[in-house]
Amino acid sequence: MERMPAQSPVLGDFGFVALVLLMAMGLALLAVAAFARAPTRTVRAPPAWAQFRFGYAVYALIFLAFDMEMIFMYPWAVVFADIGMSAFLDMLVFIALLSAGIAYAWGMGGLRWE
Amino acid sequence: MGVAAALAVLGALLGGAALTLAVEHAFVRIDQEAGPARHTELRHNLQLPNADRWLLPAGPVVALAGVALAMVVLPLGPGLIGRDLGIGLFYVIVVVDFVVLGLALAGWGANTPEGVEACYRIVAQLVAYVVPLGLAYVGVIMMARSLSTVVVVDAQRGLWFVVLQPLGFLLYVVTGLMQSYRAPFLEPFAASLGGGVLGVVGGWSALVWRVALAGVLLVVAAVGAVLYLGGSSGPWLPGWAWMLAKTYGLMALMLGLGRLVRPLSTAETLALSWKILIPLGLVNVLLVGGLILLGVGPGA
Amino acid sequence: MMAAFDILAFGACSFVAVAGALGMATTMSMFRSGIFLMASFIGVAGLFILLSADLIGLLQVMMYIGGFLVMILFMVLVMHDPGGAMMAGMELSPLERWFSKGLVPRDEATSAGQDDPASGEGRSHAGNRHEGHAMPHGEGRHGHARDHGGGAMPHGAHGGHAEHRHADHQHGDGGHGGMDMSMVTPVRPLAAWLAAAAGVVLVGMLFLRPAWPVTDAVPDPDSARRVGNLLMDKYMVAFEGAGFLILIGIFGAVLLARPSTHPDDPSRAAKAAVDAKPEAIRDDRLAPLAEAGGAPEPEHHGSHHGHEDHVG
Repeated sequence: MERMPAQSPVLGDFGFVALVLLMAMGLALLAVAAFARAPTRTVRAPPAWAQFRFGYAVYALIFLAFDMEMIFMYPWAVVFADIGMSAFLDMLVFIALLSAGIAYAWGMGGLRWE
Repeated sequence: MGVAAALAVLGALLGGAALTLAVEHAFVRIDQEAGPARHTELRHNLQLPNADRWLLPAGPVVALAGVALAMVVLPLGPGLIGRDLGIGLFYVIVVVDFVVLGLALAGWGANTPEGVEACYRIVAQLVAYVVPLGLAYVGVIMMARSLSTVVVVDAQRGLWFVVLQPLGFLLYVVTGLMQSYRAPFLEPFAASLGGGVLGVVGGWSALVWRVALAGVLLVVAAVGAVLYLGGSSGPWLPGWAWMLAKTYGLMALMLGLGRLVRPLSTAETLALSWKILIPLGLVNVLLVGGLILLGVGPGA
Repeated sequence: MMAAFDILAFGACSFVAVAGALGMATTMSMFRSGIFLMASFIGVAGLFILLSADLIGLLQVMMYIGGFLVMILFMVLVMHDPGGAMMAGMELSPLERWFSKGLVPRDEATSAGQDDPASGEGRSHAGNRHEGHAMPHGEGRHGHARDHGGGAMPHGAHGGHAEHRHADHQHGDGGHGGMDMSMVTPVRPLAAWLAAAAGVVLVGMLFLRPAWPVTDAVPDPDSARRVGNLLMDKYMVAFEGAGFLILIGIFGAVLLARPSTHPDDPSRAAKAAVDAKPEAIRDDRLAPLAEAGGAPEPEHHGSHHGHEDHVG
């Protein structure tokens, strides 16, 4: 047992998270069971799975791009105060690039509902 | 011991959800129930013959799981936290996304025209809220130098972040309303869609949706209290009392402010988010960066 | 004991990852395909967390929930049968049948008593012939739609779905046995063997490689800080380069979404979302402050609206 490496706290934390997840699913099962004998009403509606133009395609693509940007911002935010000016300048460049993206999309009329 | 803590987390969720419904009741007509799920049929199970039999029941379960997982990192008082994850705040954003996923699953799974249309509007609101919400978090993370909720509360011992970052707070209030699908961002549950996802919900899923939707508002308000209002810190009263007061105070503020504005359509929500909130959010990040470089804020 | 927990966790995450990928490839519903892929990546995120890379693991989950919901939307924009209802009524292999369980096949025609919704097994005989006609249009739509389409989303993962073989359109034998519209292409057995061979080669390489160094060092639990520091000094160029690539992506998205110079054939128009005026809030005590301009004045006193029958 002495040769075992120390357990990283992350594993314990996420083990707890998994436990809470399982218990939440158990809670949902309890709810299902509670309503097992309730009267049932049938809803009739035409099936609706079909090709659909949902109107916000450009917004959705730009959202994907910005999601990638947010990924960089979280770790940067944690270390920013320790590093100071150079980190600020780096993020300034990054934000400038992305603002250029939004400005372009806005100017080209992409940010609208189709 | 872990099991006891997990049970406590779930208990906090259920208790908090009940209190949330009570607070929301103050904003609704006396004879109505509160919360977006108020028109769902609690007594009948609903059967949808065309439904996707896997996705439809998965919806409410995923949403409930998301909210329960989010409760794990909320510091209800000094030492009263499910588990202090090192990346707590990031974890909260990820996990509340599961609520949106659950709504989308339920909407699509119902396979009714209203449900599927609601699914699209729900995802539209996801596209609208994620980035500005993240930017509101980033300002606070920069000052607190950590993603852990406990550290963020601790960093506000001297001064609450709402004072240092009012723009971020405003951003958080607006995007928090988007994230919890409350007024004025109600299109996914509009009456024109027959209540959208919640129009075809009954029995057990009605119960679970009530808890999940109340829970998401609770989580949003609680995280807002942690991020901007100093969480459980404060004189005289015990930590948990402060946390309770701040959470529900912020919740009442958000609900009230939300009703001052007329409901926004999906297109307007997206335009608001991308044309106004995100530029403001980026400006906020730069402002906070400047403040930190000037030495304002909790010292290293 | 800890080792048992590790092995159990590893097994669970790997199972989710592999089963999700399998489900993604074999289910008949586009939507479910996206959800399975999401689940598969959540399994992968679990593997990251087991290596103490919690930030990266959660980053995976965050990116992929948002990303795949958007991807599913684009599938709905472009594909003909996003819910799998039509495909579910056709002949499927057992694995496909399992992952498509719970999809009710669309049977508008005559099969009143014939389908068994609980198992999704109903073969709509008369319905199939309708779908046979619909399919060639569907093929055409796929080809065109990919050019015009609303965006640059890679459809690669779903190319297999789109490759229907029309070989046996109208089965002459009275419609029994359904149509062989599922993913049976002549190269399928070859592809399956190739994939199995690739898997064997990879696993063999794992076993036969010289031993990787095993270290007792525990990864740094403060992974956000480590990643941030690395981004700022060692990977700075990659960081800015990623920003630049994202910018190019945005340019591409906006350019591709412009209305094309070739008008769409009106018969191919899919149902489009309308920017509807939102409803006023009706149940509020504060309602006088929150009316939608132009919407009918809600009566919030007196008569209970008899909240409309919301369904159907």
